[in-house]
Amino acid sequence: MRAVRALTGNAAAAYGVKLCRPEVIPNYPITPQTIIIEQLADFINDGELDADFIPADSEHSAMSIAIGAAATGVRTFTATASHGLALMHEMLYAPPQLRLPILLVDVNRSLGAGSGIWVEYNDSMPERDSGWMQAYAEDAQEVLDMVIQAYRIAEDPRVVLPFMLCLDGFILSHTVERVEVPGQEEVDAFLPRFSPLNRLDPEAPMCMNMAVSPTHAMEMRYQLDRQMEGARQVIAEVDEAFGKAFGRSYGGLLDTYLMEDAEIALITLGTATSTARVAVDELRAEGRKVGLIKLRFMRPFPHEELREAVKGLRALGVFDRSVSFNRFGPVFTEVRSSLYGSGVPITDHIAGIGGRDLKVSTFRDMFALLERSASGGRVRECTWHGLRGEM
Amino acid sequence: MAAQTIAEAAILEGRQAQAFPFFGAERRGAPVMAFARIDDRRICDRTQVAEPDMLVVMDASLLDIEPVALGLKKEGCAVVNSPMRPEEIDLGVVARCVSVDATSIALEHLKAPIVNTAILGAMARADAFVSLASIQRAIVNRFGEKLGERAGSINSEAAGAAFERSREGMCRGERKMQRGNAWLPTWQETPPGVALGRWERGGMAVGPGSMRQNMTGTWGTSSPTYTRARCIGCQRCWFICPEGCIRRLEDDSLEFDLRYCKGCGLCAKVCPKEAIAMHRKGAGA
Repeated sequence: MRAVRALTGNAAAAYGVKLCRPEVIPNYPITPQTIIIEQLADFINDGELDADFIPADSEHSAMSIAIGAAATGVRTFTATASHGLALMHEMLYAPPQLRLPILLVDVNRSLGAGSGIWVEYNDSMPERDSGWMQAYAEDAQEVLDMVIQAYRIAEDPRVVLPFMLCLDGFILSHTVERVEVPGQEEVDAFLPRFSPLNRLDPEAPMCMNMAVSPTHAMEMRYQLDRQMEGARQVIAEVDEAFGKAFGRSYGGLLDTYLMEDAEIALITLGTATSTARVAVDELRAEGRKVGLIKLRFMRPFPHEELREAVKGLRALGVFDRSVSFNRFGPVFTEVRSSLYGSGVPITDHIAGIGGRDLKVSTFRDMFALLERSASGGRVRECTWHGLRGEM
Repeated sequence: MAAQTIAEAAILEGRQAQAFPFFGAERRGAPVMAFARIDDRRICDRTQVAEPDMLVVMDASLLDIEPVALGLKKEGCAVVNSPMRPEEIDLGVVARCVSVDATSIALEHLKAPIVNTAILGAMARADAFVSLASIQRAIVNRFGEKLGERAGSINSEAAGAAFERSREGMCRGERKMQRGNAWLPTWQETPPGVALGRWERGGMAVGPGSMRQNMTGTWGTSSPTYTRARCIGCQRCWFICPEGCIRRLEDDSLEFDLRYCKGCGLCAKVCPKEAIAMHRKGAGA
């Protein structure tokens, strides 16, 4: 039975996980993720979820346990943030190549030194080369819905890859919102039982994760690259099926807002999209033809979808919440590479670093620069918004 | 928790709501901010609220530290946890004000100075945008689910008592409201290597050294009194104080530095001779 609840982004993740019935939940606490794991522990304690809850001695161990559990063919979940994800880094490379569809929720938080507990994407962005699918959520409802979608995408026989679902620390993880929680029966109907590709079983022994010589490594990597590419189709299909089953869909790899006749547009991801919508509404009310592209996946990256979405634009801005320390943020380099030759002038807009409050005016400033760019004016390739001191 | 509960109450009434906190050091008693928005339409704006319709001050000692009412809308309303009447409270702006001694109510109902549910009753009194009944339902949901049925009901009773005992009026606006001289350097002025503790700007210490400015002694609701004649110099209190507020003198007697005491009461608890007693701070004591 569906129920409307007031949930934080973290609680929404936990409710989504409960509905997906994972059997093993290895974990290690870290702010701002900890309440996901605590909520799951409560569910298990109250008999609402039947799973092995394994407190690990570090995130490195938590991911190692997740790999072991998934290799035995059970649905597995874990969550982390920031330094926790960094400590997992070594083990993150195993599940994609072993084809273990683990779900990891990363609550984005900046990585130190110079760190706090607030949102920045410098924890998850470096992991986009690890072979995990990677998605970013805008609100608590999307968090819950994407947990359910994530397992179906990850376990689809055409994909079988691990899934990293990212949500903004505090701005989403600790924000209470109205969330519709689906009923167990409808989730059971939407998400079939997990049937693993390979499975460690003493009755039918097999070898997993042995050393791979140069004679085989290249083929394995190419296979992984093809799987990731193939996931694009599955992501779109699952989103559509989810819409039919639950009445909510998100556009697959990316979503657009008022893009039909837009002349300038901004690409955002995570909760920034919400506040950017307000800026777009304001500018539209003033008669300006602006639009928004909500980037939902960094892996697989929506190359073709993006080329389609920017057709007819006179200027495009990219919002980045982390820096590559090589002039640009990571989203910008991906977007510009995808749109090479499209002729649309593209600029990078870094803001909200270390959790700095993103105001409607911050996005209006971005659009102001884009308008200047569209009318042939000179605009920096990369602007830091809200920075104190001359750039 | 108060912001989350008011949001939940609004959602129970079929509306859209959003509530989120902003805090720094993760320690109990430290000043925090929380924001809530309530609307009939989907709420997209996720910025912090700078100009609220309602300002809720959970600890009146904050008024001496921060100009908390700086952004309060002209037609807005302030809810202050204080034993004083609204007319006695100086918020820095003249505004409609509801005061309530939420700390006493919390101590009566919860046996702990945790005011976030009592204050919700005063919020319902200040503005009927969410009904007391919905607030009490949200409290029962939220606290009952986490801490058991009894926690839900006593917290709900605390809100009900605060609703009854709230006093309405206008607060005073005599206090000068100025932002503290926060040190906000440009990127060129920022000391390299995040070794901020070594720098001092205009008498303002930044980073690890900033405790010289942050008198955490304002955080507590009670403070210790020390009876030297009863003290046997065992030093248990000195050993257990988590804030290092107790100084050991030459003759093994003690000196309390209340500027940093948060009133946890551990010193009184471990004293074998009842030489230390805790008492409520402020006018309500």
